[in-house]
Amino acid sequence: MAAVTDGGSGLPGAGEPPAVELESVTKRFGDFTAVDDISLGIEENRFFALLGPSGCGKTTTLRMIGGFEETTAGIIRLHGEDVTGRKPYRRMVNTVFQSYALFPHLTIFENVAFGLRRQDVSDEDIKHRVGEMLELVQLTGREKQKPRTLSGGQQQRVALARALINHPRVLLLDEPLGALDLKLRKEMQIELKRIQNEVGITFIHVTHDQEEAMTMADTIAVMHQGRIERMGTATEIYEDPRTGFVAGFLGASNLMQADVVDASIGEVVLAQGTRLRVSADQLSGEGRRVRLGVRPEKIHLTPADSPVEGNALAGRVIDASFIGVSTHYLVETEPIAQLAVMAQNLDDRRFAPGDSVQAVWRPEHTFVVT
Amino acid sequence: MSTVAQEAAPTTRGTNWRRKLVPYGLLLPGGLWLIVFYVVPMLRLVSVSLQTGIYPRYRFSWAWSNYAELVTNYGGQAVNSFAYALSATVIAFLIAYPLAYFIAFRGGRWKNFLLVMLLMPFLMPFLLRTLSWKIILADNGLVVDLFKALNLLGEDGRLLATGVAVVAGIVYNFLAFMTLPIYVSLEKIDRSLVEAANDLYASPAVAFRKVTFPLSRPGVVAGTLLTFIPAVGDYVNAVLLGTPQQFMIGNVIQSRFLVVLDYPVAAALSFTLMIVTVLLIIPYVRASGTEDLVA
Repeated sequence: MAAVTDGGSGLPGAGEPPAVELESVTKRFGDFTAVDDISLGIEENRFFALLGPSGCGKTTTLRMIGGFEETTAGIIRLHGEDVTGRKPYRRMVNTVFQSYALFPHLTIFENVAFGLRRQDVSDEDIKHRVGEMLELVQLTGREKQKPRTLSGGQQQRVALARALINHPRVLLLDEPLGALDLKLRKEMQIELKRIQNEVGITFIHVTHDQEEAMTMADTIAVMHQGRIERMGTATEIYEDPRTGFVAGFLGASNLMQADVVDASIGEVVLAQGTRLRVSADQLSGEGRRVRLGVRPEKIHLTPADSPVEGNALAGRVIDASFIGVSTHYLVETEPIAQLAVMAQNLDDRRFAPGDSVQAVWRPEHTFVVT
Repeated sequence: MSTVAQEAAPTTRGTNWRRKLVPYGLLLPGGLWLIVFYVVPMLRLVSVSLQTGIYPRYRFSWAWSNYAELVTNYGGQAVNSFAYALSATVIAFLIAYPLAYFIAFRGGRWKNFLLVMLLMPFLMPFLLRTLSWKIILADNGLVVDLFKALNLLGEDGRLLATGVAVVAGIVYNFLAFMTLPIYVSLEKIDRSLVEAANDLYASPAVAFRKVTFPLSRPGVVAGTLLTFIPAVGDYVNAVLLGTPQQFMIGNVIQSRFLVVLDYPVAAALSFTLMIVTVLLIIPYVRASGTEDLVA
């Protein structure tokens, strides 16, 4: 029972079991391990994102929850009930497919009604509920049209309505916004979040787009090579990525090697001798080699001779590009050949290539990764 | 600026004209072919069907009696034609659909190999293929023995020279024409549609009935037409595997045209066959509602 769930008492019967629970779930295709011993628990009414690059196993994980792939090992529970070997049509879970998978031979009405028609729902009820659902996704009046007459964004909303009308206990979304253009994608992100708030169903959203995950999800699990590397809120993961992979996948990072000098005060030393400070709770064991990271927007540049407080690295600007909201600098320093710095254009102090500068940031903005 | 615009206008109009003509130009070769080899012969066929006389001297005389011959003299053969073609189409469909389904959904990397195997028999000449069924269905052959052992046939029962043999021959000869269109339409179906149906509580059987089969209908319609139409007019299977009792309307037309040299009656029979076939097909295509699926 190593499931990661937050809060709640451990007593059986007290409190709700998590909406979705994976226990040591593994999936192998021949020699290839797509999903490697994943355990996690997702609470009711959460917007949960599985984030990772293609091939990291996120879609396979989703497909196992939906019942489209069998698990090689492990147990999947929905609301405490073991559904591991159960066929998709016997799970109270619905999916929004990447390609929408709308039935081309059926009208929008029949597409949305498809799930209800498989259950004992009266025609009158179906009519009422389809109408309600189309209103929710703002497609009232399109009942008689065929899917191909709708735009991509509208088809996307039909797919969502078709899944939600069944009141699933969990809704699975497999890169549902991947086929939309940028503007529409932004709109749909907000739309999806609104709908999730409205219906109060647990959403599990698979995406490779970090911004999309951060915009919508309450909890993000970053997957890499079949494992969950880091799980938490967007802020937690961004500010303290813990692994080099997560630091690089979520936003940009400057990473550098250092040796721990004094763990109790968080003092480390870089290879060339510069001493830096990090939050003490991030370190353990003296003399250990660690990797430090700092986000480009946390660094600011000052002239070479000015007095500084906090961590500082001396260097020379090798590139400066003004992009409106901010200016991006590349600074050549001793530990890192190309330190990325992002400066908001708040004051008129700008640096040009060739200027000697100091890159300064606060110790608590430094994170340690493995 | 305005002069430029004025000068540009006629040129645009010119290209527009040419653009509008292009599709017709592309239609021309095919259209000519159809006129020379279809429309003209068809009109000639109709005209011959209303003539009387003895070869080679026929005279146009509004001889509607030629058409009456179908009912008076060849009713049996006409019934044979439609009965055999219909049963062969149904049987071919029952064999072809699971076959096509298997190749399309379960073929995996063997898909192309299986398709080649399906077409392999067609590398052999049509006559040889049909003749080999004589051996398969022979009175002392394996199939007859087996049927007798299973008590499906009486002691002196036979398959060769019966309607069963003719239908078997037609099914065999047209199986690929049934299988390939069905295969193509099944192959095109997005697998996630079946998954979506399963996701929406449809069991595999329901998903097939509500999603897979409706989406494969264009192939079913094409396959059944490609089998039924040539089968109605077929005469080779009846000659090789049947007796004059199993003769179809095609046999009559063939002998009227080439043996008896009674062109008018042969033409009348041909034309009637065509009209009846078309009249049967129209409601079938309408009822199958495939217009919707041609996307």
